[in-house]
Amino acid sequence: MAVDNSKLEKIVGKKNVLADEATLMQFSQDQSFVAPRRPDAVVYVETVEQVQQLVKLANETLTPIVPFSSGLTLRGAAIADQGGIILNMSRMKKIIEIDDENLFAMVEPGVTYKQLQDELTPKGLKVMIPFGAPADRSVLTSYLERDPVMAAPCFEDGNSLIMDTEIVLPNGDIFHTGNWASGGRPGAPSGPIRTNILRMWTGAQGTLGIMTKMVVQVSYMPAQRKIFFIPFKSLAEAVEPMKRIQRREIGSESFIINSFNLAALLTESWKVPSKFPVKAADAKEFEQIRKVLPAYTMAVVINGPKRRTEEKIAYEVTALKELCDSLNVQLLESLPNITGAENIIDAEILRPWGVLRKFNYKGSVHDLTFKAPITKIAELEKLMFDLALQAGYPAADIGMYLMPLERGRAIHCEFDLHCTAADEAERETVKTLWQKASAELINNGAYFDRPYGIWAPLMYSRAAVYSQMLQKLKAETDPNNILNPGKLCFA
Amino acid sequence: MENKKMIPAKLPPDIYRALEDVVGQEYISQDRAVLECYSKFSVDAGGTLKKHMKDPSNIPACIVYPESTEDVQAIMRICNRYKINVIPFTNGMITFSGPTTPDPTVCVHVSRMNKVLDVNEDTLTARVEAYVDYAQLQAEAMKKGLWNGGTPLATTICKISSQSAFAGVWQTDHKYGTLSRNIVSIKVVMPSGDVLVTGSDSVSGMETFWEYGPGPDLYSLIRGSGGTTGIVTEVVCKLHTWCGETELPEPPAGRPSIQTFTEAKYDTAPFPKRHTLLWAEFDDLEAEIAALRKIGQAGIGVGLNATGVYNAYYCSQTQDMTLDRVKNKFFPPYNLYVILQGIVSQGQLDYEESVVRDIIAEVNGRFLTEEYKGDVLYALAPWNLDCIRHVTGYRMNRHSYCGSNILGGPIDTVARKTREVWSKALNTFGETYVTDRGGMDDTPFLYSSNHGGRYWLTEADVYPDMNKPELLQRAQATVACGMVNTIADKYGPGANGLGVSIEPVTSFMPEVGPNAYLLFRKIRNVFDPKGICAAGRQVFTKAEYDAFPEQALAGFNKLRQMHGLQPIER
Repeated sequence: MAVDNSKLEKIVGKKNVLADEATLMQFSQDQSFVAPRRPDAVVYVETVEQVQQLVKLANETLTPIVPFSSGLTLRGAAIADQGGIILNMSRMKKIIEIDDENLFAMVEPGVTYKQLQDELTPKGLKVMIPFGAPADRSVLTSYLERDPVMAAPCFEDGNSLIMDTEIVLPNGDIFHTGNWASGGRPGAPSGPIRTNILRMWTGAQGTLGIMTKMVVQVSYMPAQRKIFFIPFKSLAEAVEPMKRIQRREIGSESFIINSFNLAALLTESWKVPSKFPVKAADAKEFEQIRKVLPAYTMAVVINGPKRRTEEKIAYEVTALKELCDSLNVQLLESLPNITGAENIIDAEILRPWGVLRKFNYKGSVHDLTFKAPITKIAELEKLMFDLALQAGYPAADIGMYLMPLERGRAIHCEFDLHCTAADEAERETVKTLWQKASAELINNGAYFDRPYGIWAPLMYSRAAVYSQMLQKLKAETDPNNILNPGKLCFA
Repeated sequence: MENKKMIPAKLPPDIYRALEDVVGQEYISQDRAVLECYSKFSVDAGGTLKKHMKDPSNIPACIVYPESTEDVQAIMRICNRYKINVIPFTNGMITFSGPTTPDPTVCVHVSRMNKVLDVNEDTLTARVEAYVDYAQLQAEAMKKGLWNGGTPLATTICKISSQSAFAGVWQTDHKYGTLSRNIVSIKVVMPSGDVLVTGSDSVSGMETFWEYGPGPDLYSLIRGSGGTTGIVTEVVCKLHTWCGETELPEPPAGRPSIQTFTEAKYDTAPFPKRHTLLWAEFDDLEAEIAALRKIGQAGIGVGLNATGVYNAYYCSQTQDMTLDRVKNKFFPPYNLYVILQGIVSQGQLDYEESVVRDIIAEVNGRFLTEEYKGDVLYALAPWNLDCIRHVTGYRMNRHSYCGSNILGGPIDTVARKTREVWSKALNTFGETYVTDRGGMDDTPFLYSSNHGGRYWLTEADVYPDMNKPELLQRAQATVACGMVNTIADKYGPGANGLGVSIEPVTSFMPEVGPNAYLLFRKIRNVFDPKGICAAGRQVFTKAEYDAFPEQALAGFNKLRQMHGLQPIER
């Protein structure tokens, strides 16, 4: 290590620099297939000034510095590929402001979805949360990762949720985006100098800067919510109804979930885990539920705001019923054979982490998360099934979650593979399938817009100019290559 | 001064020949008469002043008309090799100066690249070439039951590629956001001649359907770059569901020739199918803001705006009518209009109208109807179509509009801040025309830019007589004063609410960021290490920074000191 601990301790205090073996091992891996790598130290910070000083010190000593918030990205983002410091921001947990007049909240990197939602609930407000995000996931990191939130089908309310930000640049300087850029109040996302500059730091795994504060949109909770289910025997059957419902702009939240993931969500005997991987649990209830569920279920959520609640719901319900009639598909208000499932789903809309129960099946889950055009999803699903068959992996054990984005312009797809973390042979089989599927899906048009781990060379090798420009940008702004080196297309 | 000859810089003959070989003799010119056409923009105070001063630096050395991205690549490579400045040009309808250095500049007019290449109903996208305007795109998209979500107030003939470089504010930003939210991919030819494409389109074998990545988002560096990252040759826009007809309705009176287009009846088209426009007025700004906030947060509508002096321009068929209506306060001083669409059904339209009516009643507002101020409502009829496809913005240029202060932020502060900043600027330098003051004593133009009504844009403009250099100088000073004031008061990112800024505001306002100019200087170096593209426009290189005239810096420093900021010392 190029920097000695005493220098780190001088900045953050002795108790906040950990370099014991157990800690280093803990931070050397996550549950993904990314190869473990021990950092040289884990440094807990509490202020932006400490972050700045550490970045400056890292530059002086050419020490890699890896930002860490909740550690729940599960894709190796916070593994120190080239050693160095894990900059642990999990104690930066302040919700600095909730502006309930202008509907935004300012959070630090350690603020979790649950923490923020708990603060917002008494005010009748909600933060948009992605389906399957852990309760303890960092809001800031999740938004930087462009995790699509549950309302993402809705163009106007489910996207572009980041407003102003505070970033520590690779040279240690502080930088603000949005209205905040001139130092006063935040309150709008544009600028400075380029309209959308904050997007440069998204999907970047902390390679171009360390975000220390973010202003995010919050919304009013609906006064009433009505959920409908449409069962399908195959994903291909669901494509046209999904397209037509989205183009009519009916509903806010909407997704398609296969029987595996829906059963996992409804298995009450399984706990929602907060650390990953977990110990596999008894699957009896899960199997019983899975058996009676449709192969695929589309959920469409219609929200009624405070004003004229029933009228709003009524016109959307009428349109949805007409559309389903014309498409000759069943529209259900509850799931057949599962009592009270609609209530569980209803609760999930606000706090959507129940599907993480899926980890109980085998303990470890490896996702393939990508975007695809609506016309491609059935073809990509078939490809996934074929590859699973070749690998001897049961197709029925592939978890699936699909969500239309911006009224169906794109589909967010998650295919999950399950394995027992401790079973080396099974893990290796699943790893091989996961790697092959990654390559084949990309070959067939699956777009991994967050190309992490092995997805990075697969994507960037097809985007020569784009990756060259990223590399030049990195070299110009982080000449010492201290920020999370080795990630994306960076050395 | 009057006898001074304007001698524009010329290209070395071998470079001219090389460019000629790319586009052919027919599509290149260094004829002075042609060059003059490209020597200033239509609403460009700086460029016009240079004309008055007989400063030749705005006259390009040659014009080339490429036909394809490949042509643009070849042009860029030649210019980059010989370090010749390049500036892209579409229809010249921007307020910023043209070529800003005295060195020879190649003006690349992309007018031959004017096709809508594809409207894709599956991915809800349209791929357009650089010279395609909103009207073209809208016409093609509506045929398939889609539209792009709005057109700029700077009118529907704005080119989408130019708007991606600078602006893109629509009356329908409330639902659809500004242009920033409506681009899936940009293709830009960088000074090296390499082509950078963004989003899923950047990855070989992928369809064009997703705007982000891969990984860090380079679109963020091109949007709003003012041409400094290269020449945009294609844009892929998002499309949305359109619930109107495949063609927009016509006024019952028909559309006469331009000479007789002075009667209101030719502007009174009906709304498109399943669209409604509601106008309301209020007793004061407080009530107007309360209504805007409530409607903004009600989750309804596609457009939510308040109009200041703009009604008097857009809705008046002659300039005399404009002045008369400003003088007599014909339009309500505190007002708003809401654009509603029934995409789901007629039921949606009915529901949303009921919500608006509830809110207007809550704040004691009044709707304009045939019975109440029917003459005003009749005069406002151009908005019936212009809220969807804006054309009457031309009327703003009738006397000459040439600069704005555009602020962004929450409704509770942005309206008042605009009035405060702009009034101070006008009081300091004096008005250039009677309509400069529009919105300062009543409502400034307010656009909701977010469906929750979280943030808004405002606008205040100057309208000097282009024939009077002193008024042009005053207009420039007023706009700069407003910008400096905004930053000094720590309100907003600088030049405007879209975040885009233009030198010298970029480099000589280090408070922004702070020191945002240093980061952007690095970014410029990544794209354009020789500094040839739109040179000196958005962020100076170190050499340009050092070469900024001392006298100009002294003037800028006066503005800084006027607002309590320390002068810049280089």
